[in-house]
Amino acid sequence: MSLEIVGLSWGHALPGGGWRQLFNDFNLSCSTGQFVVVIGSNGSGKSTLLNLIAGRLRAGGGSVRLGDRELLRLPEHRRARTIGRVMQNPLDGTAPGLTIAENLRLAECRRRSLLAPRTLFGLHPSRGDCHRYADLLEELGLPLADRLHTPVGDLSGGQRQTISLVMASLGEPRLLLLDEHTAALDPRAEAGVMELTARLVNRLGTTTLMVTHSLEQALHYGDRLVMLQAGAVLGDWSASQRQSFTPASLRELYASATVPVDESSLP
Amino acid sequence: MLTLWIGALDQGLAYAGLALGVYLTLRVLNFADITVDGSFALGGGSAALLLSEQVAVPVALLVAVGLGALAGMVTGLIHTRLGVNDLFAGILTTTGLYSITLRLMGRSNIPLTDVQFAASSDIHWLVALLLVVIGLIALLALLLGTDLGLALRAIGNNPVMARSNGISTRRGLTVGIAAGNALVALAGALVASYQGFADVTMGLGSLILGLGAVIVGESVLRPRSVGWALVAVVVGSVLFRAMIALALQLGLDPVDLKLATALLLLAALGLGRLRIPGLSAPGGES
Repeated sequence: MSLEIVGLSWGHALPGGGWRQLFNDFNLSCSTGQFVVVIGSNGSGKSTLLNLIAGRLRAGGGSVRLGDRELLRLPEHRRARTIGRVMQNPLDGTAPGLTIAENLRLAECRRRSLLAPRTLFGLHPSRGDCHRYADLLEELGLPLADRLHTPVGDLSGGQRQTISLVMASLGEPRLLLLDEHTAALDPRAEAGVMELTARLVNRLGTTTLMVTHSLEQALHYGDRLVMLQAGAVLGDWSASQRQSFTPASLRELYASATVPVDESSLP
Repeated sequence: MLTLWIGALDQGLAYAGLALGVYLTLRVLNFADITVDGSFALGGGSAALLLSEQVAVPVALLVAVGLGALAGMVTGLIHTRLGVNDLFAGILTTTGLYSITLRLMGRSNIPLTDVQFAASSDIHWLVALLLVVIGLIALLALLLGTDLGLALRAIGNNPVMARSNGISTRRGLTVGIAAGNALVALAGALVASYQGFADVTMGLGSLILGLGAVIVGESVLRPRSVGWALVAVVVGSVLFRAMIALALQLGLDPVDLKLATALLLLAALGLGRLRIPGLSAPGGES
């Protein structure tokens, strides 16, 4: 499904008084199935943009349309019914006290209203659910199929992020939002999660926005690279245009686009 | 002597709904709900009023359950819609409920000496209460095993994750708190029926009693699943009443009962080094 962001605005009060307008008439358009990688320095608005789309933050104005649906009118949980999200902190995306199977079941039912009659009938995750999840995990090459009844809190950060990623892909999402989802992982876990990300995005064909600080990821993943600076699009390159970058030239561009930001003023 | 222990067992089972309600709000939803003090008395008062008017027992119990759910829903709405802190939301509802219960009862105490219960002895009560409690455990275990139950557990576990998976945490909290207080009001009605009267102050300290049952039950049985946790909570309720009965047996002045209960809970919290969300901050070294 296509994502159309038109005239988006958002600002926030500064801790010491005053106001910072981060987004002002921000526009971005992503076609159906496009995998867009978003980079930018701290405070450029990358994560804020994802939070505005997902509804964790309330936009000041503008429009965010997913297909023919206006997202800004919907509360966060209603938007989540069509958006799969992986957050930066592995602790945020899963319920640690619930088992892997229970977490996957919740994600699978994301389209269902809390009080829909079907939520009151049948015990879940059932044996059938567990077989399905085990098959899925095996198909994805994840060695977690025999740990479906393990509480997610017992897993490592990389494993939790892996489960979070699989959860985001369940329930037929129309949009995937990946917010620096490998930032808290060691290089080995990062490689595993990125490899899984590429496979899932490819398999689902879902429109995807991935925020990252890793220039290596920016050069290797996605159909398009967008660079943000202070709430505006500084650069927008297709996959073929991106090939003209070397790691060094992209690093140079990234550094030149970095505006010193008072970190204490970030939301 | 035996009568005393059977009485303690009866009381433990009558209070089991309170313990299960506190478990649901505190353990499942991670919501410290003081409403239980008000909804316990509301359940007891409303059931006593209806029973004294010769209304059938099941109807009186159902009305108590409905009123308890309504009280919980009010707290849930105050918390989720007005953004009032969980403790304050509960205090507000409980404060209001005192007047509502008093108005409903028409007087501060309703004796049930003229009411004829099918259960005429402690053993009869034991069987009746056991059946009710087994039914409640089965019902709750089934509820928490459904997708709705899974969603409620996710809300208590990680509300950020719950919302990002399409779950309305507002609605879930409201429904869960309402269900918890329905159980507590049922316990109030059963306790009023068992002890033969309802008093407008009977809910005072209910949260502590419920909490005590949860902590004692979890410490003793160390449950690893939701079903066992529910059984543990009921066992905790019985053990907690037994401890109180033992204290009285050893000569404790009934005036000091609430203080003894609070100290008992404090001891359980301290010795068990249990972390109760919202109630025991990680202040010390672990």
